Amino acid sequence: MINPYLPHQAKIQSVKQETTGDRVIKTFKLVLEDNSCRESFLYKPGQCAMLGVPGVGESMISITSSPTQKESIAFSIMRMGKVTSAIHEKEAGDPLTLRGPYGNHFPLDEWKGKNILTVGGGIGQAPLSSIIHYVLDNRTDYGAIDIIYGARTTADLCYKEELFEMERREDIRVHLSIDVREEGWDRYVGFVPSNLLRIKPSPENAVAITCGPPVMIKFVLKNLLQLGFAESQIYTTLENRMKCGIGKCGRCNVGPVYVCKDGPVFSYVQLKSLPEAHIS
Amino acid sequence: MENYGLKKDSLKEFLKTLQDVELFAPVRRGDVTAFEHVSDPEGVALDLEHQPLPAKKLLLPQTEILFAFDKKGLPKEPDFRGTKKKRFVFGVRPCDARGFGIIDSVYEKDCPDPYYVAKRSNTVLAGLQCSHPFPNCFCTSLGGSPSSSEGLDLLFFDCGGSYLIEVYTEKGQQVVKEAQSLLSSPSAEQITEKEKVVREAAERIQRSLSLDGVLRNMEILFEDPIWGDMARKCISCGICTYTCPTCYCFDIQDEKIQGKAKRVRIWDSCMFGEYTLHASGHNPRPTRAERLRNRMYHKFKHNIDLHGIAGCVGCGRCITLCPANEDLIENLQSIESAR
Repeated sequence: MINPYLPHQAKIQSVKQETTGDRVIKTFKLVLEDNSCRESFLYKPGQCAMLGVPGVGESMISITSSPTQKESIAFSIMRMGKVTSAIHEKEAGDPLTLRGPYGNHFPLDEWKGKNILTVGGGIGQAPLSSIIHYVLDNRTDYGAIDIIYGARTTADLCYKEELFEMERREDIRVHLSIDVREEGWDRYVGFVPSNLLRIKPSPENAVAITCGPPVMIKFVLKNLLQLGFAESQIYTTLENRMKCGIGKCGRCNVGPVYVCKDGPVFSYVQLKSLPEAHIS
Repeated sequence: MENYGLKKDSLKEFLKTLQDVELFAPVRRGDVTAFEHVSDPEGVALDLEHQPLPAKKLLLPQTEILFAFDKKGLPKEPDFRGTKKKRFVFGVRPCDARGFGIIDSVYEKDCPDPYYVAKRSNTVLAGLQCSHPFPNCFCTSLGGSPSSSEGLDLLFFDCGGSYLIEVYTEKGQQVVKEAQSLLSSPSAEQITEKEKVVREAAERIQRSLSLDGVLRNMEILFEDPIWGDMARKCISCGICTYTCPTCYCFDIQDEKIQGKAKRVRIWDSCMFGEYTLHASGHNPRPTRAERLRNRMYHKFKHNIDLHGIAGCVGCGRCITLCPANEDLIENLQSIESAR
């Protein structure tokens, strides 16, 4: 019988500091040490994995790379608690433990032929980034791609260089924002939900995926409905404290569903049936 | 099903003849009894009443080492300690045995838990019929009974001077085979006596409720102030979950002693604020009202929807042992009569 609690060892290939200030986010690219583990670790955008530091503990982190990026598995991690602080101390070449992948995933096969709109805020861009790379690497399968992403300040924006580069591409539209005016910022200033209303993406043949702080999600959902998106066209992810990743330890439930195995991806239709999600 | 008679004064002898098993049974610890590994059957203290912790802890220990890490930080393959020899757990309440069935539906399915499954498949559960149910027992409202055989490999009925033993499974049959010389075919008197104790035990259950009304109202009461009222007495101590034969939630923590790291799992409780506390400080269930509501919904709605059975066997421990006098039956009755 497989022991689902036994993690594999992974080596940190690179560490990139994404943000500065009091909420530092770093992106860690990992490579599983064992060849057979590397081949069997098959994931899809939206899934999570348990990262660990022996003697410190484990944290569930969403995978920010796309499975089309074969060279490594990437995780963007905000320094928050005991485990994420210990991970932040690690450098390229250091080992971490990894188990997973866990949970469901974005239905990217169902979305083939559709226009893709992602609406992200802060660290919420992490799982959206996986979608973006996936659709760009399978570009002909999808229609127009719109990325709406914002953070409090430029120092809090993740994946800056990558997004600035995408701004110059013809086959994708990037709409960045910060909450408060800053010297040298010539893009939108204001909250993400307002930027969404300003850009007015068409709901025609589209899906919208939103991840970010709960208050942002609340207004993004409201504004998407106002723009004419149907509830079945809207997706988001939930997060909760997790320990096992396999629906046993109990704590990540939202009503009858366990975020670790039944989520983290939910359609708005599903969320509305879960009173504990406090979404409507 | 096979059945046998066993003289009461041969019980200890019966337990001693079981050579190839590790015996676990209640032993006296002060005012209570606790399930422990017993090397000398003389120490067995059969007692269904003063048993705060159900036999659950034998399959889901309060603290269990998942594995240790080596010097390189690699997990060492665990050996599922203590599960090589067959375990004979004697003197289990029928309600507690039903509790294992409820845990099985989570731990044996959909990515099975190897630590639990190894112990479970290696354990023979021998129940003791509950001839004198206790004031807070309500197993009959949850589909059980003081004489339920569900989840048991064999069940002992106290027939005065002797036991009548019913054996339900192959695993149970293998164990009693070793003690064949002490067993007899049950006499007609024993069978009559057994039927009498079964009937009388059911009649002695004093408390009951109707789950149908609870389930119906659960659909509409999620935002009701009833949960705040219910939680007013609760002190979030978690005793209801620790003593529950169907609660199975755990925490995983790393321990580092003298440079040696281990990953350990420990019982946890949905009554604790830390249980759901995010690293960011956000807590989806910040007060006792949300936590108690979640526990009630899990046991009396979600478990029924997901696994077809309530997450409660009506053992009454959470009522008897609550230091704040929370009464699960009264709480369920107030849900039932809320609308």
